[in-house]
Amino acid sequence: MTAGSVLPAACAVAAAALFPLVVRDPYFVHAAIMVLLFAYLATSWNILGGLAGQHSFGHSAFFGIGAYVSTILFIYYHVPPLVGMAVGGVVASVISIGIGYPCFKLKGPYFALATLAFTEIFRIVVTSTEQIGGIDLKGAAGILIPLQPGKSLLNFQFSGKTSYYYLILVMLLAILFVYRWMERSRWGLYLAAIRDNEDAARSIGISATRYKMIALAVSAFFGATAGTFYAQLLLYIEPALFSSAFSIEILLIAVVGGAGTLLGPFLGALILTPISELTRTYLGGGYAGVQLIIYGAVLVAVMMFAPQGLIVPLKRGWRLLAERRP
Amino acid sequence: MAVLEIEGVSTFYGEFQALYDVSLKVEEHALTGIVGANGAGKSTILRTICGLAPARSGSILHNGVPLERLSTFEIARRGIALVPEGRRLFPAMTVLDNLLLGAFSKPERESREKRLGEVLKFFPILKKRKAQLAGTLSGGEQQMLAIGRALMGKPDIVMLDEPSLGLSPKMVSHIYRILDEIRELGITILLVEQNVEWCLKKADRAYILENGSVVLEGPGKELLSEEGVRKAYLGL
Repeated sequence: MTAGSVLPAACAVAAAALFPLVVRDPYFVHAAIMVLLFAYLATSWNILGGLAGQHSFGHSAFFGIGAYVSTILFIYYHVPPLVGMAVGGVVASVISIGIGYPCFKLKGPYFALATLAFTEIFRIVVTSTEQIGGIDLKGAAGILIPLQPGKSLLNFQFSGKTSYYYLILVMLLAILFVYRWMERSRWGLYLAAIRDNEDAARSIGISATRYKMIALAVSAFFGATAGTFYAQLLLYIEPALFSSAFSIEILLIAVVGGAGTLLGPFLGALILTPISELTRTYLGGGYAGVQLIIYGAVLVAVMMFAPQGLIVPLKRGWRLLAERRP
Repeated sequence: MAVLEIEGVSTFYGEFQALYDVSLKVEEHALTGIVGANGAGKSTILRTICGLAPARSGSILHNGVPLERLSTFEIARRGIALVPEGRRLFPAMTVLDNLLLGAFSKPERESREKRLGEVLKFFPILKKRKAQLAGTLSGGEQQMLAIGRALMGKPDIVMLDEPSLGLSPKMVSHIYRILDEIRELGITILLVEQNVEWCLKKADRAYILENGSVVLEGPGKELLSEEGVRKAYLGL
């Protein structure tokens, strides 16, 4: 981080920290939580999609795994969700390696299609499974997470929305830190080489598969932790968490904001999530479908005018502004 | 002694056969040339050696060790460096990062700084451009960077795929002088070229490729004086 970007970053964090103190309406706090959650998810996608250039269409698989693992551990084995979140992350990482091994043999659109197929397999299996062993998955009906008497971080249940807001804010800052650290590390350089030209990277001795796997496992871990957060926020999980539409939403947020940049996914979430949340609320009743038209129009505009993501013109504008100052 | 021995190699892209039963030898410290028309399979030979386009049959020995079952990165780590056609740099990275990536493996990382100094002494222009993005270099500079990146890995064989492609005649002769200097370092060179006259003049031994098969082989200068070669490739 350069000296010039410390001040705006500090201002942004301070503004984010003050937001729930100023805005008291729980609906808007919920919308803000969703923005931060999607920023977190899109950043976790960005570790694979941005750093390594492997555009996964199956990130919701990890999100769903995180939600189901922590919930099942909580209900059947009384494992606190905070611990379940870590276990879910590890489970997702291990599964991601199983998925990555065959999928990384494919490139470009074939890789994307393979990841999409895996997610759909998860969705269909979970939808049609009522029970495994003694565990009730309840299939398409989904699982309600029981309220706990003690509100605590360990139980991941709080009395107000504000605590969830601060929790996801801290999680987002943590993942941005991890992303920046990976980007600046030796791994980041290897991943960038693989993204730029995989054949060239391999012919100078970089084991492309190994580094892509590492990026995938880290990406899956964080994707799964977002799943646990979401489950504990809504106290309800369903197979739709695995849906490919959801995967594509994550990918779009990252791409619209700017894949392969630190703040691109955050910017994408800041723009796209309110559009989909607010239009659904205000237009969803009488004008069902209108929100999708608006969403689509924004996507078309971004692809036409800022195909590298909105962060690119934003950065340019910021630099011009900084130069103009005496 | 042959450091690289290729015996009866056939390579396919899907159903399409690109190489038919190709055999060639690369002698230590020599410059071995492969020439031929567009689409004759020259680049495919290099891609096959480094595992990017694995052979369907035949054998490839590097100092007696078979390479066919190894993956590309393992072959690269054995000291076989490829300077790919069209230069294939990492355009969004700086010149320095491109070079550092060339010294990848663990033992090399320790001597990397020393190596970097040597390579920059070799290519003074790259020292000047150190902090610049690779994509902004001129064609000749990019070619030098690609060669420099290959040298960073301390290879014993450097394979170059059409290093003269798209460069001015002046730059081409500069690049070729560099190849002479690389040979003086004791590095073996396998050179693929469309510039037939020029490659045959330099090559200790050369192979002429047509439609995926070796049709002629011999010392470069001998091939150059052959009637058929002069007619077919030099228009003389």
